[in-house]
Amino acid sequence: MKSRVAVTGLGLVTPIGAGREAAWEGLLAGRCGFAPVESFDTRAFSVHLGAEVRGFDPAPWVRRQDPAALGRASLLAIAAARQALEDAGLAPEAVAPERAGVAMGTTSGEPREVERFDDRYLAGELDRVGPEFIGLYPCHMIAAHVARELGFAGVNTMIPTACAAGNYAIAHAVDVLRAGRADVMLAGGADAFSRITYTGFARLGAIAPERCQPFDRHRKGMIPGEGAAVLVLEPLDRARARGARIYAELAGYGLSCDAHHMTAAHPEGNGAARAMERALADAGAAPGEVSYISAHGTGTPTNDRLETLAVKRVFGAAARRTPMSSIKSMIGHTMGAASAIEAAVCALAVALDRIPPTMNLEEPEEDLDFVPNAARDHRVLLAMNNAYAFGGNNASVILRKHEA
Amino acid sequence: MPITSHPSDRRRVVITGAGCLSCLADSSAGLHAALCAGRSGLKPIELFPTESIGCHQAGEIRPFDAQSYLPDRNLRPIDRTSRLLLVAAGQALVGSGWTAEAVVEREVGLVLGTTFCSVRTIAEFDRRALQLGPSHASPLDFANSVINAAAGQTAIWYGLRGLNSTISAGAASGLAAFGYAVDQIRGGRAAALLAGGVEELCFESFFGHYQAGRLCGSRGGKEADDGELPIPFDARRNGFALAEGAALVTLEDAAAAAERGAPVLGEVLGHGSGFDPLGTEESAVGAVARAVRLALEDAGLGAGDVDALSAGANGSVDGDPWEAKGVAAALGARAADLPVTAIKSMLGEALGASGALQVVALLGTFGDGVLPGIPGLERTDEGFPLPGARPAAQRVEVRRALATALSADGHAWAVVLGAAGQS
Amino acid sequence: MSTNAEEIRTRVKQIIANVAGLNASRIDDDARLRDDLKLDSLSLLEIGVDVDLAFKLELPDERYKEIDSLPAMVDLVQQRLGERTEQPAAVRG
Repeated sequence: MKSRVAVTGLGLVTPIGAGREAAWEGLLAGRCGFAPVESFDTRAFSVHLGAEVRGFDPAPWVRRQDPAALGRASLLAIAAARQALEDAGLAPEAVAPERAGVAMGTTSGEPREVERFDDRYLAGELDRVGPEFIGLYPCHMIAAHVARELGFAGVNTMIPTACAAGNYAIAHAVDVLRAGRADVMLAGGADAFSRITYTGFARLGAIAPERCQPFDRHRKGMIPGEGAAVLVLEPLDRARARGARIYAELAGYGLSCDAHHMTAAHPEGNGAARAMERALADAGAAPGEVSYISAHGTGTPTNDRLETLAVKRVFGAAARRTPMSSIKSMIGHTMGAASAIEAAVCALAVALDRIPPTMNLEEPEEDLDFVPNAARDHRVLLAMNNAYAFGGNNASVILRKHEA
Repeated sequence: MPITSHPSDRRRVVITGAGCLSCLADSSAGLHAALCAGRSGLKPIELFPTESIGCHQAGEIRPFDAQSYLPDRNLRPIDRTSRLLLVAAGQALVGSGWTAEAVVEREVGLVLGTTFCSVRTIAEFDRRALQLGPSHASPLDFANSVINAAAGQTAIWYGLRGLNSTISAGAASGLAAFGYAVDQIRGGRAAALLAGGVEELCFESFFGHYQAGRLCGSRGGKEADDGELPIPFDARRNGFALAEGAALVTLEDAAAAAERGAPVLGEVLGHGSGFDPLGTEESAVGAVARAVRLALEDAGLGAGDVDALSAGANGSVDGDPWEAKGVAAALGARAADLPVTAIKSMLGEALGASGALQVVALLGTFGDGVLPGIPGLERTDEGFPLPGARPAAQRVEVRRALATALSADGHAWAVVLGAAGQS
Repeated sequence: MSTNAEEIRTRVKQIIANVAGLNASRIDDDARLRDDLKLDSLSLLEIGVDVDLAFKLELPDERYKEIDSLPAMVDLVQQRLGERTEQPAAVRG
């Protein structure tokens, strides 16, 4: 008998707003966060747009550590983590430290640290590389910094499974709670805008020149972004006992691996389909019970086609009446943060019976309901969040409406 | 502390194969023999120049001709980190009797611990793009610049369509990967998983660790007066020697392994972890103690059941005693006569691979009752609580062993292993 | 840069061989990149980048996407080099 897990707090830092309310309102309003990249020079590129988090001030959030001494992804993660805890009505001091854990996902860790290393390398100034390179760069420092900030001494895991990492971290947190190894888990993902990531996706020809149009017939690609999201997860009975506000139940998850190609998904969407099927099985749900799908929906020609194929296979006849939207149409692809942000959005969709749109959708390529261009009221009993990554890592997470 | 399933009514997880590459040997048998003979794999680095760095030795794998282990297939898209892992994975699969067809049919998976995956590939990708322009960046290098690249490449190479994940926790990554994998098998999400870790030696990592003062003989980027002394637990220790390696074991549901007649090399009985958020001795010792206690509880065992300890100690000035004190705090009286080894004395610190190397080495000890010594150990600190740490190899009948790791950033992990046939 | 077809073919073959992990001698003059050499899309992209660098062609990706064989790549290089010698102002040293 699997013990049940509740989502009791949400923290978000996104290209269209920081904080649960600002981000959610922005998404419902269809606000897009794309602008010319500022954090590095893109003149040598043929594309120039990114979804950066502008004007982020870590000072209100980073209190125990010196913000100037931490990498950007860690700062974003800490902001989201503190927001989430406050949102859950949990003061860090009120939580037994040994029973409080952190599971985070990322694609790049702290890329600016290695970028700075490389700048110095090329300038012949390696002597300027200080202890901060190894002190900050390793990706596990994101989860470590969050735990240091909050004094959490329990499980501490970093799962760098690229663009599916947020879902993997949430899945791991669910397992930790189900096994009784923690009383509260902060689970989510964070990634900072990265010249390396941008260069790589540009080199693959995957970046859209003007806007991100998931599921549109004329879509031209994704737009890299940055951000963080953290969910507070607790055993359901503990959440109820302390009178917590419960957004949703984290009902189940499914993982799979394509084992096919490093950067392209399986041509029949096999891995994606298996992850969805396993999540449904874990949640004890049938496809027809899913009210809303938060798609991976990057906006690349290949991803969106294969993802739609996989959804149709798994959902069959129910596919056409299951709304599926991609918030990457608004906030771009925030890498390891993406599926964590999307999971938080699913929690809100479940709690508030409202679903965000796929923006910039002019001519859908398939005959599914992509929630085109306008948010909608919709009774959401079950929400499914899908994420697919380089290396063939796929993860689906399901959230269920909590009836008190 | 509630652990919801009791050891007796829970799926058992056995080890049916092992593979490893290290500076000492390219097989698990070779590794055990070398460790028991007290041979060191630490030597002057040839992989990259070290003239401008005040530290020159590492556990480099040399020679390493990946193609000789992996003939007839294109290795160009595979970087050094993934090549190391492919070799270890092949050994583990072959050793456990998984044919190529069965692997695909039964969906064997992989849980991999790594700190960087390949920071060298990431940095070279970046530098090439800066020098030649982004349109001439290398697509193959970009594919290898994600931290889950090695796990992905290995899955593609061997058709591992089972559960696949990557875990990062510094020097504790390997043991963390074990814990993750064990839970997945216990939870019925996988029948068989390769679990372990990989880390390559590269200039970026080596130089960075030197500048951070973590390497033996480095003091914040300056050469230390007393030379390079990466001797675990020794009072003269002044940091660790970096190393590279890859190690994987095949973990399987015991019933499924028995059904297919798989060899059983050992069993993973329990695991536990903690984190030190303060960076103080008290907090770190507490995290290690917690990890050990939780691991024993998870295994349904007591301190007296532990026959030997393979510590992750690597010569770190603070880390070594903190780990020792944490283990001692958890084991109580048993600590006083517990046989202890620290194989990084001979292997160096291979970060993501090290926990897995500790486990693979313990399988050797299960087999012949020889626990490697800690060569070079002359004198421990005042009050050092593990007198069972000795320079020479020891004869110990080991039915249950503990492997521990404390990363430089506060991750504490413990795994309890059992010899084959122990319940 | 000489547009000698044989030199170009030798060099292009070496680039392809390098990405395919093969000795150049094992690549037929009419080798098809996907069908014969079993190269995936990433490797094909890498070949395009390496060829572009080696010959300083400065061509957009689209031109390389159409190339599916060694002879086609050789033709592309020759054609581009020919274009550039006809427009000296565009040629970089």
